[in-house]
Amino acid sequence: MTRNSLGYLVREAGRGLTRNVWMAVASISTVAISLFVLAVFVAVSANVNHVTTLLQNEVELRVFVKPHTSRSVEMNLLKQARNWPDVRKVEFFSKHEAAQQLKKEFPHQQALFAVIAKSNPLFDGYDVYTGSANEIPQVAQRFSKEPIIHNVVYEGNVVSRITRLSHIVRWAGWIVEALLALATMLIIVNTIRLAVFSRRREIQVMRLVGATNWFIRWPFVLEGLVIGFLGAGAAEAVVAASYGWVSSAAAVSVPFWPLAGMHLVIVRTSLFTGIGGFMVGGVASLIALRRFLRV
Amino acid sequence: MIRLEGVSKRYANGHHGLMDVTLTVNRGEFVFLVGPSGAGKSTLIRLLYGEDRPTSGQVVIDQFRLQKMTWRQLPRLRRQLGIVFQDVKLLPARTVYQNVSFAMEVVGASRKEVTRRVPQVLELVGLSRQRDSFPDQLSGGEQQRVGIARALVNQPIYVLADEPTGNLDPETAADIMRLFLEINRRGATVVMATHARDLVNQLQKRVIAIESGQVVRDEVKGAYGYDA
Repeated sequence: MTRNSLGYLVREAGRGLTRNVWMAVASISTVAISLFVLAVFVAVSANVNHVTTLLQNEVELRVFVKPHTSRSVEMNLLKQARNWPDVRKVEFFSKHEAAQQLKKEFPHQQALFAVIAKSNPLFDGYDVYTGSANEIPQVAQRFSKEPIIHNVVYEGNVVSRITRLSHIVRWAGWIVEALLALATMLIIVNTIRLAVFSRRREIQVMRLVGATNWFIRWPFVLEGLVIGFLGAGAAEAVVAASYGWVSSAAAVSVPFWPLAGMHLVIVRTSLFTGIGGFMVGGVASLIALRRFLRV
Repeated sequence: MIRLEGVSKRYANGHHGLMDVTLTVNRGEFVFLVGPSGAGKSTLIRLLYGEDRPTSGQVVIDQFRLQKMTWRQLPRLRRQLGIVFQDVKLLPARTVYQNVSFAMEVVGASRKEVTRRVPQVLELVGLSRQRDSFPDQLSGGEQQRVGIARALVNQPIYVLADEPTGNLDPETAADIMRLFLEINRRGATVVMATHARDLVNQLQKRVIAIESGQVVRDEVKGAYGYDA
């Protein structure tokens, strides 16, 4: 393709977009809306992942040791547990440290700590982190079989529930998105068809003088791609603005809920909306042209 | 060289466009296709530029065997052809100059070639002064000249014309016909379907008469042969 052809291509695509301005605007908005929904799903899923990762870094199991067990036996089990493949990290805490921790977490209950200081009723134990949430039960079971273990406490259910939730969100997202993509594509197909129709005389002349099919197609394909990209850009602008707003609002109303960073979300969503816009625009224009340019 | 061998064209509705037509047109010839309306002249022209495919038989233009060509290959043939229609098919939103240059741009000609070649053909068809007019500002004869300029601008070997003077008054028709003769004199092969009886009789060129899809007459210095 020569430089002249490239100029021609860009000129023609621009002509097509401006000739049916309102149809182009309709297509771009539809693409934008559908990609915005996609971006919302991506953002939600990024946040769920973010929370899941954070939770996995919190204590997953807390294993308590029977009172009056000697420190060397406790250290033996610690060493052993460190070699288990499904255990990512394990840390020992003494009942003294447990009391200190408790004191820090509940600074207003000093009367209680006065009692604890005399005869500490707490246990020694281990904080255990597994490789993944679904390995928690087997690790818990293994610990309970050890004779020195008093009991095992874990809230692995939270993590596994969130993981399951994220799967559901993701799948629901894909299904909704597929339907939206279809609707969007139909609208772009229509726009391109209109463009083809309004330029049917040009196309006829082009074919008669021997322009290649691709030469005839490219302006329309470019037009579809431009619609896709403008839609993606608009969606991304809305995402950026609203995510900023959501995260500052969340910081005030749900400060304990850690949101994924703006940067991460923008990168992820723009990746998806960019690819989505590109595919929807390109595929739609190819579909629109498929039948038209025979003969 | 254009060669048709046993060419038949049967349309989907059962109508026979052409039946077992065999003929040869050599390079540099000027050929009139005559015959009543609906006889198959336009069908023959459409087969030549690949708009229709024959139901049976062979259509060969130089190295191109049309029945074997894919849609992808068709542009290569079309660049050897200049096609002129009764309804000129000009682009109304473009000037005379742009209508002609468009035909060059879309086959990838360089800007330099376009600016050199377009004024030349406009000069040839006598429209240099109207280059910035739009088609609806032109007379029928002038519009047809633009159509011819567009067909010629890519320097075709073959010029196919389907009743190019059909809408024109006799005087203008004679002008247009002179233009085709000039094109032929400069080396292009011309195949023209026409109803212009007086001009055909006057010019004494090869005449192929088609009736009901069959060649009924092929004379070297022929006459129109039908009453008006």
